[in-house]
Amino acid sequence: MKRRLFLLAYLLGCLIIGVSFGQKSRHFYNVDSEKKIDGRIQDIKMEPRYKSTAPFLVIQLAENGTQTVYNVEISPIWFFDQDFHKGEDLTVIGSYYLADGKTPSIIAREIRYRGRTLALRDKHGFPNWRGGQMKGKARKRGKGKMGL
Amino acid sequence: MFEMVTMKKFRHFALAVVFLGSYLGADTLSLSLVHNMTDNLFQNRFSEADQVSNLSFSLDKDFSSFSLFASGEYSYLFENSYVTYCSLELGMDYLRPLGGKTALYVSLTGSRTFYKEDYRDFNYLDVNAFIALKSYINQTSILKSHYSFVYREYRASLFDYWSHAVFLSMDKYFQSRTTLKSELNWGYKFFRHPYQEEAVDVEPGRHGFQRGLGKGISSGGSTPSMQSQESEGEGIQIASFSLLLAQGLGSKVGLNFSVTKQWVISGQNPFESVYEFYLVENPSYDHFSWHGYEAGSQLTVLMPWTVNLKIGYTYFNKMFPGIESYSLEEEPLEITRRDRRGRIDLRLEKVFARISVFVHYAFVDNRSNDPLFDWNGHFISLGFEWNHFYGGQQ
Repeated sequence: MKRRLFLLAYLLGCLIIGVSFGQKSRHFYNVDSEKKIDGRIQDIKMEPRYKSTAPFLVIQLAENGTQTVYNVEISPIWFFDQDFHKGEDLTVIGSYYLADGKTPSIIAREIRYRGRTLALRDKHGFPNWRGGQMKGKARKRGKGKMGL
Repeated sequence: MFEMVTMKKFRHFALAVVFLGSYLGADTLSLSLVHNMTDNLFQNRFSEADQVSNLSFSLDKDFSSFSLFASGEYSYLFENSYVTYCSLELGMDYLRPLGGKTALYVSLTGSRTFYKEDYRDFNYLDVNAFIALKSYINQTSILKSHYSFVYREYRASLFDYWSHAVFLSMDKYFQSRTTLKSELNWGYKFFRHPYQEEAVDVEPGRHGFQRGLGKGISSGGSTPSMQSQESEGEGIQIASFSLLLAQGLGSKVGLNFSVTKQWVISGQNPFESVYEFYLVENPSYDHFSWHGYEAGSQLTVLMPWTVNLKIGYTYFNKMFPGIESYSLEEEPLEITRRDRRGRIDLRLEKVFARISVFVHYAFVDNRSNDPLFDWNGHFISLGFEWNHFYGGQQ
């Protein structure tokens, strides 16, 4: 019992250390500027966005009604995982900002399309994606869940 | 003793990975807990109920286009605890854009999986290389391809194999919100020495079935029952073609239909019998083991409070070349095993701030010309996943 408690304390300690010392600056995703956009995809591309991360999938989305075109940052790995096409309707929830002071842009937190919700970030803007996901989808079928 | 050492190693390794991951500045940590319940754990006519809890973690660290990742999982069975298993994986991947419309993804992973007691012969070392390319031919059409290589060594070496697989797909999106996709697969799996004389230490009686898992197992449990004493390996070559039709119905509903036809081009399963067990990734029962077809449909609905609902039905008709059906008295029926299966899935998922929760129900009705595999079963899963991001809000 003591040993288990020790292991649990060790694990929690690791997490606390990680949270305390691994935390970096938070200056990109602004929760206060969140907005929801319903629109249609105009273009899809891969662009470098942040230092120390892979290039991002960026979607140009024309808002229904206003026809304002937003650059919507998705994530690095989702370029492989999700197949977006020009003309598809999307609902995006994310942090709004003006790139270069003039281009309406959204850092996507959540995308809704084809009856699905894709959670790209949590409500504080922290990414949900991680390494190995693409490969994982290709071969980790059923493991850990009911493998049928 | 073996299991104790294994579990101890797993605990120490998992803790070390979590510690090093956080201390060295991992970007994300994900934890998930899934609890499963079923009335037919071993998926045969001798239904056996059990509950399974699965705990898993994953960590990753980005270095520009590279990322390193590690994951581990531990599954505990409440009634059949001797099937409990754990696995650990380490890997790296690389994502590189080739122009604005094409991207290359490469990953390399290594993993170890350990089962307890009866299933320890399925303990394996896995090395996996994966290369994928995705390209927008134009704004409404995507070409995808990937290649994977798997090398696997089991404790019971008659299951050792390596395999190659190539996948190619192309889709087209139409303004009617319709997506049409076609896929081609080719694969080659080579069992390195499936005929070598080797006792596989399984006690079938404990699981309610009477036959062994391979030529190396008989109903007695550990006495080999070979069909051949050849020493060379055996290869199986397969190819498949799939068509998928997806239709958006408004922004909150999606519907898709798919059909897959698979052929065994050469070779056949070198084992006497094939089984699929929950948790045991059986080397003789995978997509190289059958020819036939699968068809399925799925409805996805985005419900109020952003609850995702998925309802699906899948049917398959598979024949297993090289696998003979037996009567319940263990008499060969001199027919090749064929299974016809219907499956219903229902899944509800809700994503909260940092966790997501889901409940999943499946009903499977499997009809087989081998009476041991005439079965049905109910499967319920409840789970949640928690993500913690150590880094900044990119």
